[in-house]
Amino acid sequence: MKSYHDITHDGGSDVAGQVSDRDRKLAENLAGVRHLVAVMSGKGGVGKSAMTVNLATEMAMRGLRTGIVDADINGASVVRMTGVRRTLPVSGELGVRPPLSDAGVRVMSIDLFLPDGMPVKWAAPSQEHAYTWRGMAEVNAVREMLADTDWGELDVLFVDLPPGTDKLPNLHDIIARVSAAVVVSIPSPASQYVVRKSVKLAREALADRPIGLVENMASFECSECGHVHALYTSDGLDMPGTVSLGEVPFDPDFGALLDAGHAHRALSDRGPAARGVSSVVDHLLTLLESVDQPVVR
Amino acid sequence: MKFLCVECDQPMALRETLGPDNGSLSVIFECPSCGKETAMLTNHMETQMIHSLGVKVGGRNEPAAPMETIRDNLDGFEVVESAEPAEEPAPHSPEWYAQKMGGSPSAQPVGEGPGCPFSGMIAPQIEAASELTWTAEAQARMERIPSFIRPMVQKGIEDVARAEGTTHIDESVLERVRGQMGM
Repeated sequence: MKSYHDITHDGGSDVAGQVSDRDRKLAENLAGVRHLVAVMSGKGGVGKSAMTVNLATEMAMRGLRTGIVDADINGASVVRMTGVRRTLPVSGELGVRPPLSDAGVRVMSIDLFLPDGMPVKWAAPSQEHAYTWRGMAEVNAVREMLADTDWGELDVLFVDLPPGTDKLPNLHDIIARVSAAVVVSIPSPASQYVVRKSVKLAREALADRPIGLVENMASFECSECGHVHALYTSDGLDMPGTVSLGEVPFDPDFGALLDAGHAHRALSDRGPAARGVSSVVDHLLTLLESVDQPVVR
Repeated sequence: MKFLCVECDQPMALRETLGPDNGSLSVIFECPSCGKETAMLTNHMETQMIHSLGVKVGGRNEPAAPMETIRDNLDGFEVVESAEPAEEPAPHSPEWYAQKMGGSPSAQPVGEGPGCPFSGMIAPQIEAASELTWTAEAQARMERIPSFIRPMVQKGIEDVARAEGTTHIDESVLERVRGQMGM
């Protein structure tokens, strides 16, 4: 009796062909994107989304063309931080046109398709046992945001990944040619414990492509006396397999501007956090220059 | 997933897809050698899994629309369509018919929720009730109607055909249905 592998087609649906077609469409749509950079951690609450917005905005302020895909489907916050919440995306011939932040960053997020404050809920005849398919719907939503957005020409497209050690491998399954990853961690040992696991899986997926490391909320500079206090008692980050991109101190005023959708203003102020971001961008651009093969071209 | 006729040791071919009905799809396969049929019946989780993958049972006749899965599945979905004014469809064309039924030929209107959660899952082919046949021309006109309202339109046409005692649906039936529905 024939086995599965003896039969070359699926009887008529051509699911493999459909998957192949959409992969081709994704590659075509990203043809104008020079570098695809995943921002990841594995641990929640370490400032991935804020870092993504800061990196994309700082690069845009330097004249680079940048975009962000908010892949954190259930915790989307990029739209709020970039201040584009009230701008509904427009559907055009080449896909959905992404709104621009005040710094010119192109933004795509599931949040753009929902009324303000509405959580993501997938329509189905029954929500019972929705865990069996919800993850697939989320991954497919990320793929569609990458493939069906009219990105145009970009120097760097950032993908803000949600917490979870499996998220970079999932992204790599959708689009294999990720140029580099930026790992964000705080110095807390508990955070590092989880982030190290993410880095191991990211290293398997990315092979020899670079993984940069940002130490976030590493310290706090007193606005009164200028003294720099460490926020954690650890000796910094210990993350084998990564290249340090620098650290960004905790700055409540900077964070407040970001929360209000004013990343451009926050970075223009050139306070301690803004200077940290600027230094990280310097190192990241150097890292990207070392990538032989741009993401898609 | 593939189906094998054990008796003939031949892969079975997809014959038709029916539903979804209350979250269940019926996918009928036929052995090309002996003609034996078998049906795969999915539960709502399996149906939703296929839908979440963004593929269509029965294959695609046209490329996927931008953000198709998000568009079809996200509760509360809204997007502004292109600012360029859409051309008014000709009266009694399938597009005009679709608009009258509350749809849009190419996209869902702003502010409306998603369509049927499974409307995009099955290839846009006419699934005729067993006693009814459709001409190729009538099928072609139906396929130009947006997938999320096509089942409703099809049911209306088939109900009228049955009431008239007609088993063969051609373009004249479609015209009569429009008249009867005051469109």
